[in-house]
Amino acid sequence: MTRPTAPRLVETAVPTAPEPAGPASVGTGTPARTAGELLGVVPDRVWLALFVLALGLALAVLVGIVNRRLLVRAGVPEAIEGTTFERTAREFDTSTVRIVAKLSTYFIVAVTVLVALTVAEVRYVDLFWSDVAAFVPRLFVAVLVVIVGIVVGDKAELLVAERLRGIKLPEVGVLPTLVKYSVVYVAALIALGQVGVQTLALVVLLAAYSFAVVLLTALATKDLLAAGAAGVFLLLRQPYGIGDEVRVAGQRGIVQEVDLFVTHVETDDGEHVIPNHAVFRDGIVLIRE
Amino acid sequence: MASLTDHLAELVEDADAVLLFSPTASFHDRFVAEEAGDGRDAPEIVVVAPDNDVDADPFVELPIPFRDVRDRIRFGIEGAMESDLVTEGDEVVCVVSVFEGESDAVIRVTVDETVHTGIYDLFVESRADPGVIRDVLEVAIELGKKGQKGKPVGALFVVGDAGKVMNKSRSLSYNPFEKSHVHVGDPIVNVMLKEFSRLDGAFVISDSGKIVSAYRYLEPAAEGVDIPKGLGARHMAGGAITQDTNATAIVLSESDGLVRAFKGGRLVLEVDPEEY
Repeated sequence: MTRPTAPRLVETAVPTAPEPAGPASVGTGTPARTAGELLGVVPDRVWLALFVLALGLALAVLVGIVNRRLLVRAGVPEAIEGTTFERTAREFDTSTVRIVAKLSTYFIVAVTVLVALTVAEVRYVDLFWSDVAAFVPRLFVAVLVVIVGIVVGDKAELLVAERLRGIKLPEVGVLPTLVKYSVVYVAALIALGQVGVQTLALVVLLAAYSFAVVLLTALATKDLLAAGAAGVFLLLRQPYGIGDEVRVAGQRGIVQEVDLFVTHVETDDGEHVIPNHAVFRDGIVLIRE
Repeated sequence: MASLTDHLAELVEDADAVLLFSPTASFHDRFVAEEAGDGRDAPEIVVVAPDNDVDADPFVELPIPFRDVRDRIRFGIEGAMESDLVTEGDEVVCVVSVFEGESDAVIRVTVDETVHTGIYDLFVESRADPGVIRDVLEVAIELGKKGQKGKPVGALFVVGDAGKVMNKSRSLSYNPFEKSHVHVGDPIVNVMLKEFSRLDGAFVISDSGKIVSAYRYLEPAAEGVDIPKGLGARHMAGGAITQDTNATAIVLSESDGLVRAFKGGRLVLEVDPEEY
């Protein structure tokens, strides 16, 4: 696309090129002249390319700094505090935010180099560079997705582990890890898709996995879901409340508590915890004296 | 200087148990490591704190950070008794923080019947969740501190066993909490409770903290209720309902501004809101 403009640039550059060399040659003689000749020899588009390069580098550093500030301002360091990725980054005397900011810097540097090369018309590598130009943004997105995936996975693991801390069972320890690797797997899949690797088999695997998870969860929580649905109705309409004497599922007693999933009915021989869908299915008898 | 150390060594001699109140992690680790290395029948080390930050094994959870050191120690000892870490007649050394910050005092207590006031049972052995009792106590304390529009106000909260309490009381007026699902501990609900405290009658709160009703006139059987003389009708009603049901009553006195907790018809805890 620079082809029509480039020859014109050269033409206009030829008469102007000796001018900056002119005054220098007056004062210092032969070395200055060779410098002037050198300046003349170097085509103008190379200067332009160098200018673009310098501008790009400055921009890259600036964007890196702004990016880091924005991430810090958005509270990212607090949010990802304690994740494995962050801790590993700390060990190498850096941080996730800094890595992401650096990444944006490198991305702009890479784009700048490509633009500069295009401007300088390094023709013999044209084909190669056009491929690279298309590839760089994708690679950038892929790396970003991987980092975000790992950090989110770590964070999810931490949150789930914290949630389950009250349950002191060794088997429960599997759950947070499972959550973490699910998130990382999806992130890796997106990243691979970005850089153009065939991921069909992996997608099928993901589909099978998520199908199994959904199915098993639905099976396992069938009663809970039914109880929850009935509980919503009971809480909204309140056909009975705390303190009412009722007969439900063959038990006669006083309602002590109604929550989303269960109803507590206290009888003389103990407190019955009845799932709400049983209340709904079998009906409830309100006893009034 | 050596004599001072010698004299004070008596304080911790032959202790059966050591109660560390909210120790810092480093202090706790150092303490456990040295005591374990000691070998011969080392005293039991019990950590008493709001959160188990140090991952101690014998651990007693403090539901509220009692400002009164005596209450704090009582709670810790009763908690330790409950889990059979100490028994009556034991000599217990308590490492506590009297002023804010790190542990700054060592107190030696002999465990006996007088120490047992039921303050631990109030939170842990109640029907209602310990968190709910703590939240209600906090509302009462805050209400006692500020009053209603600057004027001292009284209030009566009956926590837990709400079904029975509702059957042993009647409504004085329309229940503002009918068909609402609000729980104590929510900041907005706490404001609501304070606003409604000018209403007559008791608040009824369920085991899980749901506010069941306001404006309740309690009608418990009051025979044999033994509460200190000089307390008014509100305290008597509160004390009696806890004898008749498994509920806990938390009463803010209008006249002396103290918050008292009743359980099983007995006065269990008395706190001055001004001290919190």
